[in-house]
Amino acid sequence: MALEKQQKAFIAMRFMLLFSRQGKLRLQKWYTATAERDKKKMVRELMQVVLARKPKMCSFLEWRDLKIVYKRYASLYFCCAVEEQDNELITLEVIHRFVELLDKYFGSVCELDIIFNFEKAYFILDEFLMGGEIQDTSKKSVLKAIEQADLLQEEDESPRSVLEEMGLA
Amino acid sequence: MSDVVEKTLTALPGLFDSQTGAAKITNRLRQLIKSITELTSKHEEENLIKKELSAMKEQVSSPNTTMKQMREIMVRAMYCEMLGYDASFTYIHAIKLAQQGSVLEKRVGYLAVSLFLNEGHELLLLLVNTVLKDLQSTNLIEACMALTVVAQVFPKDMIPAVLPLVEDKLSHPKEIIRRKAVLALYKFYLIAPNQVQHIHAKFRKALCDKDPGVMTSSLHIYLQLIRESPDSYKDLTGSFVTILKQVVGGKLPVDFNYHSVPAPWLQIQLLRILSLLGKEDQSTSELMYEVLDESLRRAEMNHNITYAILFECVKTVYTIHPKAELLEKAARCIGNFVLSPKINLKYLGLKALTYVVQHDAKLALQHQMTIIECLDHSDFTIKRETLELLFRITNAQNVTVIVEKMLNFLRSCNDEHTIIHLVGKVAELAEKYPFN
Repeated sequence: MALEKQQKAFIAMRFMLLFSRQGKLRLQKWYTATAERDKKKMVRELMQVVLARKPKMCSFLEWRDLKIVYKRYASLYFCCAVEEQDNELITLEVIHRFVELLDKYFGSVCELDIIFNFEKAYFILDEFLMGGEIQDTSKKSVLKAIEQADLLQEEDESPRSVLEEMGLA
Repeated sequence: MSDVVEKTLTALPGLFDSQTGAAKITNRLRQLIKSITELTSKHEEENLIKKELSAMKEQVSSPNTTMKQMREIMVRAMYCEMLGYDASFTYIHAIKLAQQGSVLEKRVGYLAVSLFLNEGHELLLLLVNTVLKDLQSTNLIEACMALTVVAQVFPKDMIPAVLPLVEDKLSHPKEIIRRKAVLALYKFYLIAPNQVQHIHAKFRKALCDKDPGVMTSSLHIYLQLIRESPDSYKDLTGSFVTILKQVVGGKLPVDFNYHSVPAPWLQIQLLRILSLLGKEDQSTSELMYEVLDESLRRAEMNHNITYAILFECVKTVYTIHPKAELLEKAARCIGNFVLSPKINLKYLGLKALTYVVQHDAKLALQHQMTIIECLDHSDFTIKRETLELLFRITNAQNVTVIVEKMLNFLRSCNDEHTIIHLVGKVAELAEKYPFN
């Protein structure tokens, strides 16, 4: 039990949510094992709390035993839950970095891109935020990793030669 | 490498035909999303999704469904689950997709598995063989996918089965593979530390990796190890200081910059590590003073990320063995935060003051006007942080006033957690100063 507690405390980021102003969930990534029904409850509650914040307020708030860091980009709220002691400003910048990556990948990203291509958004998230820890690798290398897999997108025309050309097979 | 990617990317439009493939595949998802947006009630949404899910149920059980179609179904399944509906009948098919699909299908299969399943899920055991196979694939993209899923959800009991393969990847020629292998081992360390005891030497190798990305990922492990047992790693202090010096001095490739700040997250990891190593240890602390001074000096720009680094720096300066000049600089920094019109910085300033107040009560006194203002701030978060700070600077003279402020706050507070927390604090104070 003590070891479990210790391990729990060390995972800085618990989850990340993306949702619209109308409270529609667009993306959810959980970095700790959580039961489905608890996830639903937490998402519902948290959306309400965040949507109730006024524009001039700071980007941080306390919720349950966690700190919530959130920022609104156009019609989307990006929301992260971190451990109490963590540096909230750094998490705010993690969010910003994610948005920059999405923007570069989709070319001037908007909510629709994320709605219709959510699995791509997940791929990018997983590439730069592994297990809740940011990887601080260059922006170029994150997007390169995604694009290389994307290049196999439309089938068997010549994935082989593409891979060989890139020296990956 | 990037020339090749560039060349291939420009040749891309020629390879795709907008009439086939991509358009068809995403069509059904688009249809589903569009239909949902057109509905007006939750009840209608439920009906639509139920219909959709039962159609999907039939499709996944049909022997005629191709992997390509399965991939498309899986994306819709993820969408339905995100909306809050149960699509657990697809879980097993997600695993099959990862197992039997081509690279792109595998990618979606693995993603679905990481979203649907928790570490303890029994279905995960079925994934192990696929992971083993992909780890050994000559196609590096498949190996990357396997490593990514291993670092996210992997059954603890199966770690011994994959460990040798993952260890092997630590010396792979490609940095992305080495980096992902380190992260997988980090995950293993978190869930089953005994399993990775024997490879600590390999972590050192990762720390010295010529690629900064690989080195950075090894720091996750080191931060953990050092948290648990700082004394065992004091000998690495010099190395961490050197790395930080190089980063702060701009020696990393420009690509690692974030808004002109060199590898900020790496800086912060290092600062945290140094803070743990230097705590209550004068000789170790002395090794860091120079680089901390440099970090405080360099982080002059007006960007959030700079402030984040400064905050971390300040924390470190106050945690390790004290040095007057550094403390002075850090105190000035905190002052700038607290007085800042930017509300996020004010919050951080208050937080820093709370952290620092046990070392330097005078600092709080210096800013008492601002603190008093913050008590009546319209932002709940600021108010609460201020109360937290006040709790730390309570003494016999001001306890009555402070408790009164806390009670006022409690009256207007709705959050159960905060109430419990604050009531606890009030009780503590009542015990400490029984004559108020």
